[in-house]
Amino acid sequence: MSEKYTHPSEEELLQLADGELSSHRAAAVQSHLASCWECRARQQQIEATIADFVRAHHETLDPLLPPGAGPRALLRARLAESAAASMREGNWFSSWQRVFTARTLAYASAAFLIALLATLGFYRALKPHPNARVHLEPDHRLTPGAARVVSASEVCHVSYSDDARLVPAAVQHQVLQEYGVDSAQSPGYELDYLISPQLGGTDDIRNVWPEPESATGWNVRAKDALEGRLHQLVCDGKINLATAQQDLATDWISAYKRYFHTDKPLAPL
Amino acid sequence: MNPDASSQALEISLSAARPRTKPATSELEEQVIALFDELRARLLRYVLGFGLSTADGEEIVQEAFLALFQHLRLGRSRHNLRGWLFRVVHNLSLKRLAKNGRCAEVPGLDGGIAESRHDPRPNPEEHATSRQRRERLLAVVQALPAQDQQCLRLRAEGLRYREIADVLGMSLGSISASLTRSLARLGRADGR
Repeated sequence: MSEKYTHPSEEELLQLADGELSSHRAAAVQSHLASCWECRARQQQIEATIADFVRAHHETLDPLLPPGAGPRALLRARLAESAAASMREGNWFSSWQRVFTARTLAYASAAFLIALLATLGFYRALKPHPNARVHLEPDHRLTPGAARVVSASEVCHVSYSDDARLVPAAVQHQVLQEYGVDSAQSPGYELDYLISPQLGGTDDIRNVWPEPESATGWNVRAKDALEGRLHQLVCDGKINLATAQQDLATDWISAYKRYFHTDKPLAPL
Repeated sequence: MNPDASSQALEISLSAARPRTKPATSELEEQVIALFDELRARLLRYVLGFGLSTADGEEIVQEAFLALFQHLRLGRSRHNLRGWLFRVVHNLSLKRLAKNGRCAEVPGLDGGIAESRHDPRPNPEEHATSRQRRERLLAVVQALPAQDQQCLRLRAEGLRYREIADVLGMSLGSISASLTRSLARLGRADGR
């Protein structure tokens, strides 16, 4: 072989193996390799290094890969969700697009926003509203729940009275007035703490509400049972105090169903 | 798997499915799931190579496929979707690394994972030497500049030079130079 064919570089040997060399150059290198044992040996070394690296790569990372079935199912669900969401958006937009130009749409949204704010303001001004119906859950605007700064160990070692009738008379009166409950009607209700004092609740007006006596059994007794259970879970370290307070303040009936694994209030013991 | 064959298969399946109008959503979902089945492990390994956790990896891969779904729904280019996915995953990984504050340890070097891995080979001497070799190789990989590492790992996942160049924003010439440099170092470490 003529000396004008110099040995291909390592880079060219790699490019040849990777199929990244131009066909013209590839042919020349191939023909050189056919004649040159030295370069064939170099090419094999490159291949062996690649094989070693690929093995190490897989041996290190493959054991870390979790099975694909779960992620696949999750992706499927998320794709469906995403498709449904943009479908709703698309339909809403295209049907309104025909009616409104962008400018009128902007005016309409502004007007809607103003109306919404005005309504909200009006609604707030209405309170206390005399015809309010008292529900099994308190009106969260009036009774969001209030708790003092207290640690779990403190609530577990000190006992507090849960009798909301001990709250100051002025607060009692104000609560009933806010909820539009006549004092004449009051026997149908019992004042109760939303977050019970044994779980850090205070006798602040935001934490007291008239709880109705209800034929469904969702009443003060059921709520007391839940409070007892939550207190025990907190003191056993199964849930934290903030969770217990949150459960009582947001939706105590759902919390009851969750913690007692039941759809109906259990019969009093 | 032969990367050439799989990339050809990918091109063919995508061009065959390429419609004149936007395809039905359910059809797109199936295409995305098919790509997920094919590429999840490769993408996940690529993320793990950054030293990110498996949980981060799964999240990033999910996000990339959701982005792909949106991309296809909007009727955007179907050219080289594999490279597109690796690019998205690469960018999300860098973002996640920045958010996590620092590069986590890449698995394999600290010995934790390597030690805990069950090796079915019975001969303990052989076991020890192969593990030592693997750790030596990984140490060399880790000592490479970040871009060289990424280049090598993308190539190991079956990407062609053109695709790697797209993912990393490098020229074709610098890809082959980077790979040659890395393999030479690995070869020396391996006593080849």
